[in-house]
Amino acid sequence: MGRFVVRRLIQMVLVMFAVSVITFLIFNVIPNSDPAVRMAGRQASQSTITEIRREWNFDDPIYIQYVTTMKMVFSGDLQSYFTQLPVGEEIRKGLPRTLSLAIGAALLWMFVAICLGLYSAMKAGKFADRFLTIVALVGISMPVFWIGALMNHYLGFKLGWFPNGGYVELTEDPIDWAYHLILPWTALAILFIGFYSRVLRSNVLDTINEDYVRTARAKGLGERQIMVRHVLRNSMIPIVTLWGLDFGAVVGGGAILTETVFDLQGVGQYAAEAVGQLDVPPVLATTMFLAFFVVLMNAIVDILYAYLDPRIRLQ
Amino acid sequence: MATEPALEQTGLQGPAAWEEEAEREQVHGLGPWRLGLRRLRRNKVAIAFGILFLLLVAACLAAPLWADNVAKTGPNTNHLSDTIQVDGESVNVVALDGVPIGPQYLKADGKFFMGADRNGRDIMVRLLYGGRNSLLIGISAALITTFLSILLGTLAGYFRGAPDVVIRALLDIMWSFPVIILGVALGVALALGGFQFWFIDISGDSLLIPIGIIGLVYVPYMARPVRGQVLSLREKEFVEAARAQGAGPLRIMFGEVIPNLASTILVFFTLLIANAVLLEAALSFLGAGVRPPTPSWGTMIDEGVDRIATAPHLTIVPGVMLVLTVLSLNVFGDGVRDALDPRAKVRLEH
Amino acid sequence: MGKHSRRVLALLLVALCMSFVAACGDDDDDGGGDGGGGSGEAKSGGSITISQTSQPDFLDPALMYTVNAIEPSWLVYTPLITYPRTGTDKDSSLIPGLAEEMPTISEDAKTYELTLRKGLKYSDGSPVKASDFEHAIKRVLNLESGGSAFFLGITGAQDFVEAGKCNGDIAGIEANDQSGAITINLDAPDGSFSHVLSMWFAALVPSNTPCRNLTEEPPPGVGPYMYTESVPNRQFVMEKNPNFPDLGPDIPPGNLDTITTQIIKSAQRQAQDVISGELDYMQDPPPADLKPEVQAEYSDRYEEITTASTYYVFMNHRVPPFDKLEIREAVNYGMDKPALARLFAGELAPGCSFLPPGVPGFDEAMDIEECPWGNPNEPPDLERARQMIEDAGEAGTKVTVYGNNDDPTDKVTAAIADQLTKMGFEAEPKILDGGVYFQTIGSAEEKAQIGFANWFQDFPHPKNFMFLVDGASIQPTLNQNFGNVDDPEITKGIAELNQEPVINDEVTERWRELNVQLVEEAHIVPYGHRKLATFLSERMDFDNCRRFHPVYNNDYSSWCLK
Repeated sequence: MGRFVVRRLIQMVLVMFAVSVITFLIFNVIPNSDPAVRMAGRQASQSTITEIRREWNFDDPIYIQYVTTMKMVFSGDLQSYFTQLPVGEEIRKGLPRTLSLAIGAALLWMFVAICLGLYSAMKAGKFADRFLTIVALVGISMPVFWIGALMNHYLGFKLGWFPNGGYVELTEDPIDWAYHLILPWTALAILFIGFYSRVLRSNVLDTINEDYVRTARAKGLGERQIMVRHVLRNSMIPIVTLWGLDFGAVVGGGAILTETVFDLQGVGQYAAEAVGQLDVPPVLATTMFLAFFVVLMNAIVDILYAYLDPRIRLQ
Repeated sequence: MATEPALEQTGLQGPAAWEEEAEREQVHGLGPWRLGLRRLRRNKVAIAFGILFLLLVAACLAAPLWADNVAKTGPNTNHLSDTIQVDGESVNVVALDGVPIGPQYLKADGKFFMGADRNGRDIMVRLLYGGRNSLLIGISAALITTFLSILLGTLAGYFRGAPDVVIRALLDIMWSFPVIILGVALGVALALGGFQFWFIDISGDSLLIPIGIIGLVYVPYMARPVRGQVLSLREKEFVEAARAQGAGPLRIMFGEVIPNLASTILVFFTLLIANAVLLEAALSFLGAGVRPPTPSWGTMIDEGVDRIATAPHLTIVPGVMLVLTVLSLNVFGDGVRDALDPRAKVRLEH
Repeated sequence: MGKHSRRVLALLLVALCMSFVAACGDDDDDGGGDGGGGSGEAKSGGSITISQTSQPDFLDPALMYTVNAIEPSWLVYTPLITYPRTGTDKDSSLIPGLAEEMPTISEDAKTYELTLRKGLKYSDGSPVKASDFEHAIKRVLNLESGGSAFFLGITGAQDFVEAGKCNGDIAGIEANDQSGAITINLDAPDGSFSHVLSMWFAALVPSNTPCRNLTEEPPPGVGPYMYTESVPNRQFVMEKNPNFPDLGPDIPPGNLDTITTQIIKSAQRQAQDVISGELDYMQDPPPADLKPEVQAEYSDRYEEITTASTYYVFMNHRVPPFDKLEIREAVNYGMDKPALARLFAGELAPGCSFLPPGVPGFDEAMDIEECPWGNPNEPPDLERARQMIEDAGEAGTKVTVYGNNDDPTDKVTAAIADQLTKMGFEAEPKILDGGVYFQTIGSAEEKAQIGFANWFQDFPHPKNFMFLVDGASIQPTLNQNFGNVDDPEITKGIAELNQEPVINDEVTERWRELNVQLVEEAHIVPYGHRKLATFLSERMDFDNCRRFHPVYNNDYSSWCLK
């Protein structure tokens, strides 16, 4: 088991390394664009551009630039090309917002998905089940930024039931914090509720016919007890593993669109804006950071699963 | 415990997970095809949505018909200063303060059926032409993903050893990359100067760029289950038999293994198209997908969100088209999966 | 029971009245003076919260180059020469700022001499020295600021940049801290140099100000306000400067005590907050979505002002088909200016003059009524354009229209392409990323045929615009004369007028003639001037306490609460 964990951690580091290299290459090899020209601005003069290249080491060979930039990532000195503000600072400011969004949405989608999935399974084959399946599929089919923008406008602006975007710090006012996040949480959760409720439903249906459930019924246990104690618990394991993977993916992906639409100023929005400007230092830092989340969640899930699976444990 | 090979969920990383997947995959022989088709035919809801999808595709393909005969304008033709006749009155297509007219339906003989956008372009025409682009991107990207997944999955699963390790490492890395960031990064980087490599020269405006990016990004999601299936297939009797008969690896791969992947691939394919269309919309929304002024549902939503208060139709119309298309693909794909997977307990039919 | 309860009632009533009065008092906030009665009396004191849509590029005077940064900062940093803040039409003329008098300019216009006022102090209390001026310029050059271009004409500036050290010396600037005398030598005469000296880049900062981006802790300056807090992407705060000296009636101190600027990305939210009073001002105009409502219901605190800017279409004289005069004339005839104005949601005043209103040389008649290509508020003569293009044999020629992805530039570019198609070309827009757009079309290699361009004044001197069409400023890369306009007469005229150190009526008239010639000869296609808006909250005194400056926009020091 210990060896497995160590191997997994080494894998993590290698993957992170690869991600950083690829990101760096994407921005330095592909575009036919000189970052110094961008930084110099509209009225650039040749001497300004030359100076910028010198100061930021753009004339160094690629691998040296990579090493220098990575050193700055870990030392915390990384600065944006354009604003010359410390990247670490911006990520630190944005992190609580992204986490607030992701964790809240994840809890919401899990709760609703479990309820819907169980209910669907119990009414399997009947109208309610089919209806909920369609609803779930509609949820999966909607672009999160579209539904988010519409909710923000109609519920936030037009009806005034919710604030029109923005973020309030948890430490400042917890109620206002939650109030501002209700719409973003819902928008982000809709996508996953659809998916998870269906997975849970099919897991539950499979479990219901398993032997140990039939045994429990034969023993005379109540239907609800069976549902909760045996069926639900066993159906949850793959859900939990999926949840772990998806949470990492949300932080790294879905959150970006939601943050942009609702103007939450989290790490995702920061990353998207930096990428749009080809501002390599923030992009590198945020990509590695977000990839780290994904990789970390994967590793945790893997280790947990391995722990539960005796074949791995005994290797 | 049964878990269906849905798109977003393909199991875990790490050696244990890959083994797990291989064991869990089922092998569908060639027999059940007809059985599956019969099951699908009984699934009225899935068929209905399948037809809906085909209708949407047909409508988009018929874009020039609508443009030439009803709207009498092209997708990129601006009508900023023009007026149209509505109920006998002359109305500005774009008001002086920049607000475009809303859906006219048939009030102006079908012109500006769904209204105009900020440049005075006919939204219905752009919707149909944009649909062509979005669907083209979705289907082409799905094809690329499928092709690469079969290639990588089969190579990794059949030969195991070194190719397997390398391919799995590659897939793990791609998997860890936040999808949106990778897509946006590639989209922005490639849009600047296009893609020039060897004899390939693609301009930054070409649709091939979003197609390539989206196709690439989804490879890990499909390659892993394919690999899992190949792993279990290669131990099956008919493969052993072929090997005993002296068939080389290529013949076995093409003759025995890949045809048996068909049902997995089919199920994935419809879901891939759906997800590709959604990803294109997301990338275009962030400015890293289709380049303006080329219409696509994603760029239209992006343009619409700016004016959501005065011209909500700009956002709602392309969004609804997008949702209907993706939904019909999802429902139909669901039906296909139910039909082909004998372990599915409950279906959408009555 | 009766007396007791009545007393309680009375006490309650009194308590109620007092709390009522207190509440009313609270509404007025920390009001300083009385403010009642006199309509011209500006109330002193108070705090407001305002917003900007994006973080100022820099809050460092050596580096800033966007309106977000400049609008607040001109009240924090004062250069040797500046503009009056009186709210009259004299606001575009120069007056001494931290200098005692306007500069003495030598005969050959290459030497400028000024004297620093005595006894000045920065906001942190430290004394202002003459050598601080040289240090400010050094920071601009050493930090590769977007404004370096303005100062490279100073003798020794280029060498200083190449030496790469912040503590080097600029040969052309001499400062005597004892007498306060400052002498600046230029390599060549530059008629706009007095205006250059009035830019925020040349504002004085202490000599010990480090040579790095100080956005997070802006350096002290001499001005009515000072920066007390700066959290990038969140907010920054300005407070009244206790050490602000008396610089005369044309540079008054501020009224408000504190101004907090918040960065709020959504223009929607900003507008709603200004309507409801949670915000007191938004720097950008209200979004097109809310404009109709604002204009209808809040016109008593909303105003649109035309800025000194020009939006135009450049046509590359060196790339067919725009090397032909008839083609350029045809495009001028056929360009649909009212259509383009609609894309700006009414925030563009259509016009034909290349020099905009507010810049000497602006021709009001030619701008609208006497535009040689037709009134810009009327539909264009499309037929004539089409005929001219056909006659020249260029119908069906492929044309690529360049633009960038800022809003609404991408839509404007699409509209221009569409209009060119209607004129008979086969036109396609090509949208580039905003960060590299101007650098790309400024590269001769790109051979950009035609495309979007605009310019906002840095200072009200015609040279600031005319360099965009000056044959002498053409260069193979980083060219700002995107159309490669190279008319010998115009180039000669610009060169001559550039040498005039002062703009009097005669010089203004000569600039005007150049402006007219430029437009009549179809070198570019100007189509309008951008409008900005001022939208204040209810509690701001819109009628009495508001000054708009042609160069710096809203003057925060003029604001007061009702």
